[in-house]
Amino acid sequence: MNAGCDHAVDYLYQYIDEELTWARRVRIRWHLRRCGPCLDAFDFENKLKARIKDCGRDEPPQELFDRIRALIEQEAADGQDI
Amino acid sequence: MADQANFERDAMEYASQLYSAALRMTRNPADAEDIVQETYLKAYRAYDTFKEGTNLKAWLYRILTNTYINRYRKQQRRPAEVELGELQDLYLFKRLGEQSGAERSTEESVLDSMVDSDIKAALESLPERFRMPVLLADVEGFSYKEIAEIVDVPIGTVMSRLHRGRKALQKKLWSLAEERGLTGPSQ
Repeated sequence: MNAGCDHAVDYLYQYIDEELTWARRVRIRWHLRRCGPCLDAFDFENKLKARIKDCGRDEPPQELFDRIRALIEQEAADGQDI
Repeated sequence: MADQANFERDAMEYASQLYSAALRMTRNPADAEDIVQETYLKAYRAYDTFKEGTNLKAWLYRILTNTYINRYRKQQRRPAEVELGELQDLYLFKRLGEQSGAERSTEESVLDSMVDSDIKAALESLPERFRMPVLLADVEGFSYKEIAEIVDVPIGTVMSRLHRGRKALQKKLWSLAEERGLTGPSQ
């Protein structure tokens, strides 16, 4: 670990989340090209983020959609009565 | 301003995503359904205040988040905010790198062999104020600015909660991987 590594790790999440300015992004990419351990760590964090995204979805039961539509239609009808 | 008559057409496509987020928040399918229904009803009623052309998905998530907080914080009588303590950067990566022996598994193969239900459990184990930013960033792909607007805190706070929440998530994943025997002996 050197100062370049510390700097890269400090900005790791902003890099992965694509929240860095162009200039800082370039600076980190430049470090990653020269530093195998940091590149491995960044790859790992990226994969972990993708893994979390992949399993974060659950399909609701179809009835939920039906109930929401019914609620909205009821609400719309009530609105017209007034 | 948006027209209520278009609400269903515009907003229904987000119902599955909102349900997934609600499920991670409440940890319970029946409560998640309740919250999503309430969110849609509130959103419909307020739809004429929604500025067309702005971010509808983020607007719905903001209503979802407020609905959840209003409903559950009252019940919980404000639990003491949990502190996560200081955790090392790259927590999981480093722990995995410390394994030794012939049966040592690579960092990435451990990720692949993790079970979906463990990852969900790890997410759900995070204290609420850390869980939301992680959920919104990692699962929903919102930007920091959008998350700040959804949970109504400054962007710097989003970043620090996201940072700490992710490290805590990694710590939980490590202990779940150990329980499943996915990791080799440590050095």
